Amino acid sequence: MSREHSVPDRMARAIQWGLAGAAVLFIGGIVTWISHLIRTAWRLKDVPSASIGISLVAVPVFLTLLGVILYVFWGLLGDRSE
Amino acid sequence: MAAREPGGRDAALFAPIELTGRGFYGVVAILFLFILWGGVAYWVQFEEGLGVTGLHQPVSWGFYVTNFVFFIGISHAGTLISAILRLSKAEWRRPVTRMAEVITVMVLFIGAGQILVDLGRPDRMMNIIRYGRYQSPLLWDATSISAYLTASIVYLYLPMIPDIAILRDRLQKRKLFYTVLALGWTGSERQQRVLNRAIAVMAILVIPIAVSVHSVVSFVFSMTLQPMWHSTIFGPYFVVGAIFSGIAALIVAMIIFRKAYGLQGYLKPIHFRYLGQLLLIMSLLWFYFTFAEYLTGYYGGTPEEMKVFWAKFTGPFWPFFWGMALTNFVIPILCLVRLGRHTIAKVLTASLSVLVGMWLERFIIVVPTLSNPRLPFGEGIYWPTWVEWGELAGSFALFALFYLLFTKFFPVISIWEIREGREVGLKEVEERLLTYLPDGSEAELAETGRRW
Repeated sequence: MSREHSVPDRMARAIQWGLAGAAVLFIGGIVTWISHLIRTAWRLKDVPSASIGISLVAVPVFLTLLGVILYVFWGLLGDRSE
Repeated sequence: MAAREPGGRDAALFAPIELTGRGFYGVVAILFLFILWGGVAYWVQFEEGLGVTGLHQPVSWGFYVTNFVFFIGISHAGTLISAILRLSKAEWRRPVTRMAEVITVMVLFIGAGQILVDLGRPDRMMNIIRYGRYQSPLLWDATSISAYLTASIVYLYLPMIPDIAILRDRLQKRKLFYTVLALGWTGSERQQRVLNRAIAVMAILVIPIAVSVHSVVSFVFSMTLQPMWHSTIFGPYFVVGAIFSGIAALIVAMIIFRKAYGLQGYLKPIHFRYLGQLLLIMSLLWFYFTFAEYLTGYYGGTPEEMKVFWAKFTGPFWPFFWGMALTNFVIPILCLVRLGRHTIAKVLTASLSVLVGMWLERFIIVVPTLSNPRLPFGEGIYWPTWVEWGELAGSFALFALFYLLFTKFFPVISIWEIREGREVGLKEVEERLLTYLPDGSEAELAETGRRW
């Protein structure tokens, strides 16, 4: 594969990494939101154990999803540049 | 894989993307009319408030929550069926999985949107983000549906990458769009390894997420102390109903696209027979859960519980209850018990019947309990207005439109999986079959064992 990329090719590549960034932002946003709810519950002494319990399940699920997304982006795009 | 193939063996799969006939525009126009009705209904509700609907005290949940549970249920079509078939290496899955996965993503958007409509004031959604409390099952729902939607989009997208690359190399239009989404796919050994591994992880991950989503949807009801809601089997009961309605929705979608896009060569009667058999099993399971649920309530015989029970059996809700029993059990059993001839017609009749029945089931769970509350609010009967009917019609039309538009951009049947099936699937199945069967020495051992 040629190492010289055309302008549309570079644009496509930029958008692709932009999509990976959007996935990080989206899932990062959800994890931040869950952390905010835990902090609020903690501050108000409003059964924080419920928030912590649910976040113990939810956060790893979202992080696993993000891991799969980044693995695919890295694996496929990385191979193209080789 | 990347070679350009004019026409080619799978031309029927490219045709909907390459060509657009008058029929497409006609269908889109009709769907737009329904969506317009839904849009006007929502605008009126937004302007005037929820008073324009049939919702009131004590029945504060009606069509919208019924639709929410129904659509989230249908979403199980997809991912769950597709993931299970993929993991179990069922070869007949190849033309089926994509359609199932698309249903999941589309209906999740529609289902989650119902809550926004039900809120009346959508700006209050911000309150969940700012002040949400995880003690509430409603927030469990928001979290699990977000996870499910994310997982379903990823699970739909990953197996589409090789197909998108085929489109990138074949079509002259939307070049940048397909180039971006193909992620530089060339079909190299490393890329295939990465993709197969990611699909396998997602197929495993998506099953518990899907089960948890509908369990959590049921918790919205069962965590309350309301009569005929407070039940320990509501989780599995909802999951069974979800898979049941999901299979029915998948069959209907397959039959419509088979006819509209001439996919008879891919979606054969054998596929419908297998799905019909699954539907039959789910119908029996659904009946078992319904029977267990109502028998437990009846045997307990508490006055509040019995009030709701009789409201469903012989009271104002009897047409819905017995309609549900007819369409979810009697009609499917009659249609599916013998699938020798007219397979597709029978399976279609059963599936349409189940879709109606499962909507009625969701309605019969939501409304009668609220009509007969435990607290002294007074009884109430719920009559939906044109606003709710408009939202219902608009939601179904929006789902159909999303699905239709998807088929104009991406193949509705996975091209690379079909090709893989032809090229390596047959050999793989043969090899796998040999590993299932006992070899000579084991057979001899068994024979020796019998003699002893």
